[in-house]
Parts: sequence; C-alpha cells; structure tokens
Amino acid sequence: MEELNVRISASPHVRSKDTTSDLMFDVIIALMPATVFGIYQFGTHAAILVAVCMITALLSELIFQKLVKKTVTIKDCSALLTGLLLALNLPPELPIWMAILGSVFAIIIVKQLFGGIGQNFMNPALAARCFLLLSFSKQMTQFVYDGVTSATPLARLKMGLPIDMHKIWEMFFGNTGGTIGETSVIALLIGAAYLLIKRVISPKIPLIYIGTFAICIAIYAAVVKDYNVLEFTLAHLCGGGLMLGAWFMATDYVTSPITPWGKVIFGVMLGLLTFVLRIFGSGAEGVSYAIIISNLFVPLIERVTAPKPFGAGADVKKNEEAGKKEKNKAKTNNTEEDKQSDGRKNTDKSNDSGKNVGNSKEKTHFDMKGITKAVIAIFVITLVMGAALGVVYGVTKKPIEDVAAKAKQESYKEVFPEAAEILTPEEGSLDYKQINDLISSFGYPDDTIDEISFAVNEKKEVIGFIVVVTNKNGYGGDIQMVVGISKEEWKLTGLAFLSINETVGLGMKAKEKEFTDQFAGQPVDKFDYTKTGSTSPNVIDAISGATITTSAVVDGVNAAVTISILVLGGDSNE
Amino acid sequence: MKYTFKGGIHPYEGKELTMDKEVIECLPKKEVVYPLSQHIGAPATPIVKKGDKVLAGQLIAEAGGFVSANIHASVSGTVKVIEPRLTSSGSKVNSIVIDNDNQYESVSFVPCDKPLSELTRDEIINAIKAAGVVGMGGAGFPTHVKLSPKNADEIDTIIINGSECEPYLTSDYRRLMDEPEKVIEGLKIALALFPGAKGIIAVEDNKPKAIEMLREKLAGDSDITVNKMKTKYPEGAERQLIYANTGRYINSKMLPADAGCIVHNVDTAYAIYEAVREGKPLTKRLVTVSGDAIETPCNFNVPTGTSYEELIEMAGGFKGTPKKIIAGGPMMGKAIYSLDQPVTKSSSAILCLSKDEAAEYEPSSCIRCGRCVSVCPGRVMPNQLARLATANDFDGFLENNGMECCECGCCSYVCPARRPLTQVIAGTRKLVLANKKK
Repeated sequence: MEELNVRISASPHVRSKDTTSDLMFDVIIALMPATVFGIYQFGTHAAILVAVCMITALLSELIFQKLVKKTVTIKDCSALLTGLLLALNLPPELPIWMAILGSVFAIIIVKQLFGGIGQNFMNPALAARCFLLLSFSKQMTQFVYDGVTSATPLARLKMGLPIDMHKIWEMFFGNTGGTIGETSVIALLIGAAYLLIKRVISPKIPLIYIGTFAICIAIYAAVVKDYNVLEFTLAHLCGGGLMLGAWFMATDYVTSPITPWGKVIFGVMLGLLTFVLRIFGSGAEGVSYAIIISNLFVPLIERVTAPKPFGAGADVKKNEEAGKKEKNKAKTNNTEEDKQSDGRKNTDKSNDSGKNVGNSKEKTHFDMKGITKAVIAIFVITLVMGAALGVVYGVTKKPIEDVAAKAKQESYKEVFPEAAEILTPEEGSLDYKQINDLISSFGYPDDTIDEISFAVNEKKEVIGFIVVVTNKNGYGGDIQMVVGISKEEWKLTGLAFLSINETVGLGMKAKEKEFTDQFAGQPVDKFDYTKTGSTSPNVIDAISGATITTSAVVDGVNAAVTISILVLGGDSNE
Repeated sequence: MKYTFKGGIHPYEGKELTMDKEVIECLPKKEVVYPLSQHIGAPATPIVKKGDKVLAGQLIAEAGGFVSANIHASVSGTVKVIEPRLTSSGSKVNSIVIDNDNQYESVSFVPCDKPLSELTRDEIINAIKAAGVVGMGGAGFPTHVKLSPKNADEIDTIIINGSECEPYLTSDYRRLMDEPEKVIEGLKIALALFPGAKGIIAVEDNKPKAIEMLREKLAGDSDITVNKMKTKYPEGAERQLIYANTGRYINSKMLPADAGCIVHNVDTAYAIYEAVREGKPLTKRLVTVSGDAIETPCNFNVPTGTSYEELIEMAGGFKGTPKKIIAGGPMMGKAIYSLDQPVTKSSSAILCLSKDEAAEYEPSSCIRCGRCVSVCPGRVMPNQLARLATANDFDGFLENNGMECCECGCCSYVCPARRPLTQVIAGTRKLVLANKKK
C-alpha cells in the first residue's frame, strides 16, 4: 500500500463552519439596513462618516499591529465592525476629523492597548462615542434633521413635552433626528432578526434589557409622572440608541457575560442603568453610558454566576442514601464514610463558609443564593448609583440656578449702576425668535439676543435696557455678554461677560476694565475697532493679539445697541 | 417526548454513507495481531507460545486480574511471535501475533438453553468473563466487572446505549437492525442479574426505523422500554445518557452504579448474548469503515486482530488521498499515522477523510462568544479552563471543575476562533490524573 501522508492531531477532528470573521461579518450585514437608511436619510456627509470611520478603524489596527510587531488581525473584520458601530453612533453632521479621532481612540486606546480582540473591557465603539461626547459635547449632541437643528424626541421627552402616536410611528420608521444609525427602529429590528436567525447572538440580553427598561419606564410614567404610559414607554423604546445598543452593542461578545445567569443579570443591570440615566441623568440619552458601565461589571458578574458543573453535588446525595441503607456491613460502611468525607471536602471547597456539610439541597440553595445575592447586590448598586445621581442633581439644581441668577443680577447692576431696579419680563412676553430674525436682517446673523431687561429708576420709569447677547464668533466659541444701554442719548452704561472662553492672556483680556471701559458712556449707535490706536470715541482699541475676540465683542455690543434702538426706543434720531 | 440533555452540538452526521448497507463478513488473510491490553485494567497473560497451533475461538491469553479480560484467537493458525506492536492508542503494546492459516478451524462452542430464571448469577458472570467481553463502545471496560457493582441491590436500570451519536458510525445501528432479538436477549440476561431492574434501549431519533422495529419486538414487555433520544452529540456520553433517561446526575468522581445505573453498548449486549447463550468468546465485532476518502464505505463484521490495512483494502481502498485517518469517530477518535495496527474489541470505526478540518485555520484570540459554554454538556467554562490549562495553573483548573470535562470535543467543534480547547483541557486532565497517581 502507498505511503501514508496523513496529519495527526488530538480529537475532535471536525469543526463547525463559523469562524470569527464570519460572525463579525454577519453583524456588519445585520447593520446594513440601519446604515443604508441612515445614509439615505442624512445624506452624503453621513456616508462619508461611515466610510471614514471604517477605514480609519482598519488602518489604525493595521498600523498599530505593524508598529508593535504583532500578528495583523484586520481580516477578522472586528475593526471594520467597530468603525461601523462608531459611525452609526455619531451625529450626521459631525466634523470628519472628530470621527477619525474617535475611530483611532476606539481601536488603539480601548482595543489594542488592552491586548487586542477579545481583551477590551469596554465596547470600543461606545467608549469612543463617550470619549467624543465628553470632548466635543456640543457637536456630539447637535442633531440636524431636515436642515434644522432640533431637539431629539428623547430631549423633548426630557423637557416634559408629550410625544403622540403619530410621532412614535415616525420614530419607529426613522423619520426623526438622531445619530446616523439609531433612528430607524424597524431597520435595526430587521438586522437583529437576521442575527437571531443565524444564531450569531442570543436574544437573552436584549430582551431582558429592553424588558427591564420598559417596565421601569412604564412604572415611572404611571406612578411618578402621571403621563400616558403607553405613549411615554413606546417613545422611550423607539427613541435614542436603545435598539441599536440593546441588539448590537450589549450583545458584543467580548464585553458581555458568557454565563447563562450572567446574561440575565447583565440585561437587568443595563435596563435599570438606562432608566436611571435617561430619567435622572443630566442628558437625555443613557444607553451608551449604561452599556460601558455595565461592561466594567462583566468579570464580577461572570465570577458569581459561573455555571454549576454537570452532576455537582450528586455524589453527596447518593452517598447519604447509600449510607442509610448499608449500616450493617462494616466494610461497606467504611468506604461509604470515606466517600462521605470526600463529599464534605468538595462541599467545603465550593463553600467558603463551610457550614453546610454534605447536604445537596443546601448546596443547591447556596448556588441559588449566590445568584440571588449577585442580583440583589447589582440591583442595590444600580439603585444607589441612581439615587446618588438623583440626589446630587436635586440638591445641586437649586443652588446652581440661584448662583447663576445672582451672577446675572450682579452683572446687570454692574453694567447699569444708575438703575434702582432691574425688571426682566416674564418668559414668553417677548418673542425672541422675531427679535433675532430682525437683528439678523439688520446685519447681525452671528448674534443672538438671549434676554432683554428694563432698568427703572425709583419712580419706576424706564431709564434704559440691559441686553444679554451671544456672539458665536469668539475664538473659543460663544461669548455671552451683558450690555447696559441708557435710554438717554443711547449711551452705553457698561459691558460685562456672562460666558467667555477665550485664550488666557489674550482674548480673556476682554474682561479687563481697560477694555470694557472704552465702551462706557459713549453715545454711539455703532462701534468699530482698530489695531493702530483709536482716534475717535466710537472706535475701540483692539486687544492686541486677539482681534477675533475684539471683533466678536464689538459685534455683540452693536447688535445690542441696534436692537435697543430698533425695538425699544423707536426713532434713534430723537 | 424526546429524551435529551442541556448543551451539545449538531455536527454533520455522515451516517447515510453506510447506514443502509448490508454488513460484509470479513476474513483476514494475513497475520492477525492481538494486543494483550485492549481493555481497561491489567493486561492479559499469554498462555500460548511461539510456534503453538491455535484454533479460532481458543483462549490465548488469560485475564491478568479481576479487572482484566480474556483474549481469544479469532482465526486458526500458528503463533508467530509475541512482541510489542503498534495500536491505535499510539504506543506499542505487547501482542500475540498469529500467522493465519486461512482454514478458520474453530473450537466447538457449547450453547446453553436454560431459561433465564434457572441461570445463577455466577453462571452468567462466569460465562461473560470467560468470553472476554468488554465494553465495545470505546473504553473497553471489562463487562463482568461492570455487572458486579458493590451496590448490586441498588441497580434499578440497565441502559443499552444505541444512540450512536458520533458522526459516521453506524455499526451499532446495523447490529440493532440485523440482530434485534439477540441484543434484547443480551439485555435480558444482564437484567436477570439485578432483580427488579428495568431495561432501557436508548436510540437517537435519526434512526426511526430501529426505534419502530424495537418497539414492535418489545410490545407487551413491561421490563424494557425503548427511549427515543434527541439526535445530538454527545447524547451517548455515559453521564448525559443516564441523565437524559433517568434524570439522575453523576459527576466525574462517580460510576453509573452510584446512580443505580449500568450502561452497555449495543454490541456489548450482543456479545453478552453470544457468551451466555452460544458459549462463544468475543472474537468478532462490527466496524464502520467510512469517510469521503474511502472508495466504498461500509460496515464489516471483523475478526479481532485484523489489520486496518486489510479492512481498508476490503472497502475498495482509498478514494483520492486521505489527509486524516481516524480510529473511531471524528469527535473523540484518535488520528492514526499507520495502518499497520489491529482491530481490537473496542474499535468501532476507521474513518478516512480527504481534508483535515482541524488544520484548516490557525487558532486566533478568544472573542468570548460563549459558544463553548453553551454547548458544554459538562457545564464547565471551557474558555476559562483552557486559559488556566495553558498557564499550567493546576489549582485554578481544579477549582473551576476542570475534572468534570468529559473531553467530548464540543467546545473545540464550535469555537469560531478555532482554539484547541478540548485538546489543552484533556492534556491537563491527564497531567492532573498522572500527578495524583504519584
């Protein structure tokens, strides 16, 4: 017979068809409905973000692994998936460079630095999302839909605004603002169904997660808020990243428990945390934080829910029965006793307290107790965290508001020292939208009038106005300032800043008296600035090295003066 | 209702290759080899010497202790030599080599017609012991020892394992289909040893014909039931089988007898029948020769000692080039590198595969998908055990119930990262056991 050329290896000799890359690729396929819908809905920029995130993730992994001379594992599709998941979690108008930064962070910091695939303790895409949220909170929470920046449905809910069934249907199909991939519930569910049919994920975690969350929300709506329970709950289920998170990110293999009971605890924990964060947290959304916080508990959850091996404790039970029956035979008795003490050893090993010896019922009880204990512990932790959040929010809300109001009052006094009292019209009595349309048509599109108050003298006669105006062209973003304007000759009485975030030593000099005093007492309706030394009272000396700041402040002051003259003073040539 | 357990996998079955083919009688022409250790326990002691003439069915080696088994010649011829020969365990075992004279002269056997009620316990056990019957499912535990448990009065169930959950294997199925009466009689003989005990024949539901036929034959018999098992690997693993049929658990420290059960393979029941009723020693067994690299896959009734090479020739030789040859099934069988080794009492199959799935992919990092945990019939955490095993952390391995692994291979089968989980866990289990013996 011919020479054999066969391979030798230990059993088993056959393998299932699924490989890591197959599984990852399946998840990517399952995300396609949501991705395609997101691109269709939000347009080219969304498509670019998706492509950029995926390519950056892939390249980051490739370059990192080349640099540290590790096996390149980009073929397993996991980096691609991370990139896609991150993109789906980004607002459609996010600047490209932020998306690139996020992808690099996800792959290098969260995944590779902790050992690569299988070793990351947090979902890389979500960790990157939260990183971006913390770093660029404005851009990350600006959701443009149909050309206008509007509040997401969740933000509306958070403000206490109702959402009707019609809007809920829109949310179900995805006709609403949000991140690229989270808006269409139906597209996400189609993907989830694909994963379930292909048995890539088990429905345990998502169902328990969504179930726990829905129950909490329904109870909250019914008991605490007296809302329409069905509408409120459905809006919360369809809104935000819940579906995307529950089906595609809470089921992430690496960062979710693999034990049967662990999955249950994980799901409950996610549901509770999401509820707490959405209802009591400062932001409207809580899925991302809920998932990455729960990710941290996974090793602990797995430890306390390690499965009981097949037949654990069986020997003890059998030996006890045998022991009762065979007491007449000395020899057998001895062996039975030996076995029994063996059994004790086993029980002791698995039970630190060592109190319950040789009773299978108690042993089973102990394991149930372990699970119950873990569930209760995590429940309590979640509750305490939630309560702490709520308490901190509740306790600090009033003082923070008070401090802000006081600061405002003080700056009002500062810019209008002559006023006996400052009266702010009640919310709604002035139509700021119209005011801002007006001011923008007068050449101040970058300025927003936030509030107009009246300065009155002791006789309650209006002697001037205080305008809070925001100019968005500061070097560090928005500059919010308070401008005091005297009715008499339209003289500026003073200038102060409520919110200014300019470069220390340059733009921040705007706050100094030297600069602000230039405005005071000047009866002009339009200021200008120069860098070469002022020759006229209505020309302001620019802060050296901070022309942008100067320009923004001057622009804001001019807007304030203009609006005062236009709306409040009638004719400026009085 | 289907009987089953938690976990397990559904690999490609491959049973259609040989399932409905008639069993072919195989007569070896070349030398035949009888390893003295083809069972669990002490090796047998040869009672023939070089040059002795032997007949088929003649005792050539005596049990070397209580836990040991007699070995009989399966052909007639002359003892050529007694020397170490390769077996499918991978090592060389002292063996009696007989030059086959192709005459098949046999010693005469004494049948026994006594009704079961008149046979004494000793008569039955002695007949089985004399015939050298061992467990033919793979482990080769001497049957007379299995039938003499310390707690004999507690045995209430004897299970005939006809689930045959290993892919490709159909020898047990053929035995059930061809000789149902003899298998049932074998079970009845075993039941006679334990008054009050009930018999169960457990067959997976991918063999509906066998289930139907057995139920017909056993209609009206209140002592033996035929249980339809869910088709799933490893339904036939002893612990899982006992649990599925009786709801009783046993762990690695226990024997089936501790749960009041005794489990026999189908072929073993047949061998018990032949030993007790026909006085015949165990010299033949059914072997499945299958796989996609075999010209005509089929089942053979093979005299023990026949070389694998001859069997494969009888099956028409290789089709293409085999990449892997396995003694036993693909899940728990052993890959072999030489065909110059004999069929023993516990050889169930020779499998020749044209590709080696195990080597197709390089292992990659664990992605914690948890599939190994969900399929593990032993309900341990293979990913964790494999990690501890690789780190040589024996204490951790034991604490995490590493010894409860039954090495069924499910975890390695499902692992999408192609990690050799079963392999490293099995290796560490052997190390732990070896250290214990010291």
